[in-house]
Amino acid sequence: MGMNTGSTDRTILHVDMDAFYAAVEVLDHPEYRGKPLVVGSPPDRRGVVSTCSYEARRYGIHSAMPSRTAGKLCPHAVFVTPRMGRYEAVSAQIMVIFEEFTPLVEPLSLDEAFLDVRGALRLWPDAIAIAREIKQRIRTRVGLTASVGVATNKFLAKVASDLNKPDGLTVVPVSEPERMAFLAPLPVRRIWGVGKVSEAQLAREGLHTIGQLQQLSLVELDHLFGGRAAAGAMWALVRGRDDRPVATGWEEKSISNETTFDEDCGDMDVVRQTLLELTEQVGARLRQIGKRARTVQIKVRLGDFSTRIRQCSPARPCDNDRDLLESALMLFEREGLSRPVRLIGFGVSGLVTPGGGDEPVQTVLFPELEPEQEVGRNRRLDHAVDTLRKTFGHEAIKRGNWKAET
Amino acid sequence: MKIVISKDAVMSGLQMVHGVVNVRPTLPVLSNVLFQAQDEKLWMTTTDLEVTMRCAVEAKISKGGATTLPARRLLSIIRELPADNIEIEVDEKNSASISCGASFFKILGLPEDEFPAIPKYDGGTTFTVDQKVLKEMLQKTFYAASNDETRFILNGTYVSFKGNKMTLVATDGRRLALTEHEMEFPKESESEAIIPTKAVNELLRVLKDEGTVKIHMTKNQAGFEVNDVLLITKLIEGTYPNFKQVIPGQCEHRIPIEREAFLAALKRVALLTSDKASSIKLTFGKNKLKISAQSPDIGEAHETVPIKYMGKEMVVAFNPDYIMEPLRNLMTDEIFVEMTDELSPGVIKCDVPFIYVLMPMRVG
Repeated sequence: MGMNTGSTDRTILHVDMDAFYAAVEVLDHPEYRGKPLVVGSPPDRRGVVSTCSYEARRYGIHSAMPSRTAGKLCPHAVFVTPRMGRYEAVSAQIMVIFEEFTPLVEPLSLDEAFLDVRGALRLWPDAIAIAREIKQRIRTRVGLTASVGVATNKFLAKVASDLNKPDGLTVVPVSEPERMAFLAPLPVRRIWGVGKVSEAQLAREGLHTIGQLQQLSLVELDHLFGGRAAAGAMWALVRGRDDRPVATGWEEKSISNETTFDEDCGDMDVVRQTLLELTEQVGARLRQIGKRARTVQIKVRLGDFSTRIRQCSPARPCDNDRDLLESALMLFEREGLSRPVRLIGFGVSGLVTPGGGDEPVQTVLFPELEPEQEVGRNRRLDHAVDTLRKTFGHEAIKRGNWKAET
Repeated sequence: MKIVISKDAVMSGLQMVHGVVNVRPTLPVLSNVLFQAQDEKLWMTTTDLEVTMRCAVEAKISKGGATTLPARRLLSIIRELPADNIEIEVDEKNSASISCGASFFKILGLPEDEFPAIPKYDGGTTFTVDQKVLKEMLQKTFYAASNDETRFILNGTYVSFKGNKMTLVATDGRRLALTEHEMEFPKESESEAIIPTKAVNELLRVLKDEGTVKIHMTKNQAGFEVNDVLLITKLIEGTYPNFKQVIPGQCEHRIPIEREAFLAALKRVALLTSDKASSIKLTFGKNKLKISAQSPDIGEAHETVPIKYMGKEMVVAFNPDYIMEPLRNLMTDEIFVEMTDELSPGVIKCDVPFIYVLMPMRVG
C-alpha cells in the first residue's frame, strides 16, 4: 500500500473544501453571499470562531479566534451558530463523489480527505484530470468549491491543496530536486508535526523556510528536534518524501468533547449535568465506531484558566454510558470543586476493539460484584437511546437526574 | 513558639508524616504539617481528612506553641540544612524563622486553628499485636486490593478479629490474598473493618520488627499506635464480599515449587506478554512445569522449571502480574501451588497461614 518515495506516479489527492461550514451556510442562505460570515459562537458570548468566509478573513478573522475578538474586528459580520447535522449531510454527498473514483478514501474531517486514485488511472489520463473532474462534480452537484493538491504522497498533496485557495488545483512535481524546489520557499509551519512551539523554536535558530531545513544534515536536525525521534522524519519530509498509505480504516485514538460556559458556572449541579451530556455524546461516538475505552478523563478549567485533567482506568474497557458516567462523576467529585467552572470536558482514550475472538478473558471471584450482567442490560439501553437519537435528534430522550437514579 | 531541635529528629518526624499530605489538597491548610511544641516534645500532625498521622520527636523547647507549615517544602529545606542543630522560631503571624549554621529561612505558615481537629476515638475495642506480625501480614495481602475507584469497597484491606484470630484479606475480584494470626480476645471484642489502601501504605512505613502496635477499632475509624506515632483512618463503609465462599476446599493436586526460581522464570517469560494479550500459560507435566507466553505482535517465550508432580497434564492461563505479586511478597523458600483443572481457581499457599486464590484466564 505504501507510496514509494521515489514513485513517478502522481496518484494522491488531497481535497479540501473551501471555508466549508461558511460555504454551506451561504448555499442555504444566498443573502449571506459576499458578506463577512462567521460560523461559531455569537460575538457577545464566550466561545470561538469555527470557520469564516473569505470575506471575513479579510478583516483578520480566523478559525479558533474568540468570537468576541472577531466581533470587534468586524462588527457588521454575520454570525451563525454551527449546524453540524447539515454539514455532515453535505459532507456525505461529497464523500459519495470521491467514491465514484476510488474506494481508497481517508477522510480527515468533514471537509477534507485523501484519495489514492491509482485504480482510476486506467480510465483517466492522469490524476490531474481526475482532480478537475472531482472539483467539477462537487460544484455542479453540491454547489461548493474545493481546493485540490495532486502529488506523489500525502504530505505533498496536503501542502499543495492549501497553496491556491479557494477553488485551487495545485500539482506538485515528481522528481526529488523539483519537489525540494517546490517546498523550499514555504514556511516551516507547513510541515506536519511543526506546530507553534516548534515553529518558535526554529525561528530562534533563524530557520523560517523549509528550504533552510533542507540544508541541514541529519545530525543537525537531530540537535534541533532532539529527543523526539523526529529528525529522520523531518529529513524525509523536507525532501518531499512520505510513505504513509492512504488509510481507509482510519483509526481514532481518542474521542473527547468539551463545553465552555457562557458565564463561569458556580452551580455544580449544572456543571455535573453538562459533564453528563458530554459523556453521553462521547459514549455514543464510541459505540458508533465499535470501540471500548481503557482510559477515561475529565478536563476542568476554572475562571483563572487553571486547567486540571484527571484520568482513570476502569477495571475493564467500557463503552456504556453508565460505566463512563460513573468514572466521569467519580473523577469530578474527587476534585471537590467549589470555585466557578469555565470549561468542562470529557474524553476517552486507549480505544480497543472488543471481543477479538482469541483474547483471553479473566474469570472472576465474585460474579455478584461484577457489573457484567448489568453491562449487558446497559448496552441494550444505550443502543436503544442511540437509535432514538439518530432518528429524532439528541433532545428526543434525556437521562434524568443522575444522583436520584443511583 | 521557639525550639532547638536536631536535624535527625525533624527529618525522622517529617518523613514519618509527610506521606499523608495530598499533592492536590482540597484545603490549603492540608498541605501543612501541624507543629505543636510542649513538654520537651515537638508533635507533628498531617491529615487528608481521611487519614491522620501524628508523631512526636524530642526537642528543646524555650517557648511552647503551635503553628502549621507547608510539609513538603519544609522537608526539602530541612533535608539540605548544613548542620545538626536547628533553631525554629515562629511569630504570632505564623511565619517561621529557621536558622541552622550560616543558613536562614523564613517560611510562611497558617494558623493552628485552621487545621482540622485531630479525630478522637469513640468507644470501640483495643487489640495489641507484635508490629512484625502485623507488618508481615499486611505485606502478604495489601497488593491484592483493587485500585478501581468505582469498586470502592475493594479499595482497602479487610481486617477482622473473630474466632480468636486476626484475619486480613485483600481482593480486586480476580485474585484474593488472605492471612491469619491466632490470638486471644473476649467474644464481645469481635470486630471488623476495611482499612483504605493509603492508610495501609502509611502503616507499612511505621511498623518495625520490634515492639507492639495497639489497634483501636471503632465503628467508623481505626487507630494504630506505635510508641509516639499514631495513625487514624476513616474506614471504607460497606459490606466486604463473602470471601470464605471463594476459597476452594479440597484440591486435586498440591505441587511444591521453589519460590525464587519460579518467580525468576515468570519474570523472564512475562517479557513476551503484551498489553493486548496479557496471559501466561502454565503447563503442568511430569516433574516439570512449562511457563510460556506468546503475543501475536511480539513473539514468544517459554521456560521449564522442575517440580514434583506426577498427575495428568494440566494447562492453565493466568495474568502474569497476578501470579508474580504473591511470590514477590512472600519470604518462604518453598510455596505450594494447588490446582484442580483449567477453569478452577489456582491457589498459592506457603508454610505460614496464607492463602492466595487466583482466577484463571479463559483462552480462545
